[in-house]
Amino acid sequence: MKTILTIWKKELKDNIRDRRTLMAMILMPLVLMPALLIGMDKLVNYQRERSKERTARVAVDKDASASALIDFLKSQKKIEVIGVEGGPEKGIRDGKADIGIIVPADFQDRIKSGAPARITLVQDSTKMESQESLAKVNLAVSAFSGRIIEGRLNSSGVDNRLLTPITMATKDISTAEERGGFGLGFFLPFFVIIWAIVGGQYIAIDVSAGEKERKTLEALLLTPAKRLEIVLGKFFAVSTTAVVSVVVSLTSLYVALKVFGLGPMTGALESGQAQGKALAAAGADAAFSIEPLAILVMLGVGLLLVLMFSAILLSIAIFAKSFKEAQNYIGPAYLVAIMPAVVMNAMFGFKPTDWFYAIPIVNAMLLFKEALMGSYVVSHILITAVTLIVFAIIAILVAGRIYSQEKVLFR
Amino acid sequence: MPMLVAEGLTKKFNDVLAVDRVGFEADAGEIFGLLGPNGAGKTTTIRLIATVLSPTEGTAWVCGFDIVEESQEVRRNIGVLTTDIGAYDRLTGRENLRYFGELYGIYGDRLEKRVKEIGELLEILDFIDRPAGGYSTGMKQKLAIARSVIHDPSVIIFDEPTSGLDVLASQTVLGFMKKAKEMGKLVVLSTHQMSDAERLCDRAAIIHKGKILTVDTIANLKEATGSAHLEDAFLELVGAEPVKVMR
Repeated sequence: MKTILTIWKKELKDNIRDRRTLMAMILMPLVLMPALLIGMDKLVNYQRERSKERTARVAVDKDASASALIDFLKSQKKIEVIGVEGGPEKGIRDGKADIGIIVPADFQDRIKSGAPARITLVQDSTKMESQESLAKVNLAVSAFSGRIIEGRLNSSGVDNRLLTPITMATKDISTAEERGGFGLGFFLPFFVIIWAIVGGQYIAIDVSAGEKERKTLEALLLTPAKRLEIVLGKFFAVSTTAVVSVVVSLTSLYVALKVFGLGPMTGALESGQAQGKALAAAGADAAFSIEPLAILVMLGVGLLLVLMFSAILLSIAIFAKSFKEAQNYIGPAYLVAIMPAVVMNAMFGFKPTDWFYAIPIVNAMLLFKEALMGSYVVSHILITAVTLIVFAIIAILVAGRIYSQEKVLFR
Repeated sequence: MPMLVAEGLTKKFNDVLAVDRVGFEADAGEIFGLLGPNGAGKTTTIRLIATVLSPTEGTAWVCGFDIVEESQEVRRNIGVLTTDIGAYDRLTGRENLRYFGELYGIYGDRLEKRVKEIGELLEILDFIDRPAGGYSTGMKQKLAIARSVIHDPSVIIFDEPTSGLDVLASQTVLGFMKKAKEMGKLVVLSTHQMSDAERLCDRAAIIHKGKILTVDTIANLKEATGSAHLEDAFLELVGAEPVKVMR
């Protein structure tokens, strides 16, 4: 026991004096979290403002007869109609316009006679400006269409309310906390997982493969310390660093959220997501509060996650004979760890069965989400805890075994 | 029983026989040489005795403790200075020594006393509180010696202790070996430097291709081969033509 303590203290002291460990453990999580928040906020706002402010340049054939539609478009704010020689397609290709509109010659006549008239919108779907302009022109054309309907109905003496027998309003019963939790649940588990790995990665390599490289390992193995004691001492040093890193990242995230609000984060998710509106609403409330029980569950799961990652990192790094080799192994391992979580995160409304909580990392991710939304299922928590602990123990025993293998030590 | 006894010590790496039925005895108050060219099996023999490797066959006893059955006790009684003299660069010399002291089960005042004692003996107190990363090779070697004997072991094994050292640094190491001998320790010197061995060793085992060729006093080795120097005796024993040996 004393030996484990000795090794733990020494490895921490040794690594705290290393600027690289300090960077990975404290500085990166401290700075990166707020930077990411502010950065995303600025980016999202910039994009939103830019697309709102930008005038859609609409190309029409120069020779085309000016119809009422074109005149209507011209009267709209943020829409500029440009007459182009050679047709709208050429206008877009030449970069003179973002979008084109082809109005047939008989357009006006068909409208007058009450026959359906067809227009063609020309766009380049690979250009963002084109997409944005399309939306603006679409809206304008719809509005114009509405006007025509109104005129036709009026002239035949029909109340145009007849056309909309049902009007809809939506009401969201989720609380601000739930929406906040939903938004937080999207990115917070990632941060915990990432820092649980990154925070311990450097020291894990330093205390194992690094020791081989610096030729101090043999002297250590010559002491009466048992192999498992050596591994445990190093393991606790790695875990300690990773825990500090997770706590620092979460604290700085918490502070950043308090200062900048949840809006930007959820805003970033808005584009294209079905949940966009709910998230945006949560963002608008900027209200988030985390129950103490949720914090407790997350800390507990985070700790178990750290223990498992530390053990796995250490056994990988012990196997390697140099710093470089260890990094080569850990890179892919990192991807393997994070991929299932990424996939899981992308599946909205996914209802996991119990055995999903037996998949390490995925289970932590699911539990974080649950806790943030105020749901605590004992069986989920238990299965997750047991799974993570079992994996951690296996990894530590493997590391211990590797430290007893002559081939790995002296190759 | 002598302090160090090896009996039929054998180590195979896959199919390569690195150490082949090595047997010898050495006792307190002597400097025992383990002499042979590079790759003869000296380091492997030492690692077997130091319980870092386990023998394929045979065994050895250190202070009466079996290296296979009682490896913990063996490690407590043995100090090994390996060829590679790594230190924890970000720790000071004193912190390096404290760490190893604690790993050998020495704590508190006893440890501080021992660090001071060994620091004086090896003349490292001047720089002991500086980070080891800034040490010269000689300073590092002294620290490495201090580290390997921090627990005051009865058997001290030096594996190529002067390789890569200049004359002054070498002197410190060799001087320390003499002192250790005077203190009643068993010192084992593993080296290919015949001049060092000739000056220091009382007896020596000549090891070649994993096998012990002979064990005798230095004087007897020279006499038996009719050589004026240990180096010639060595060449005679391993059956090499002197001119063909490149070192």
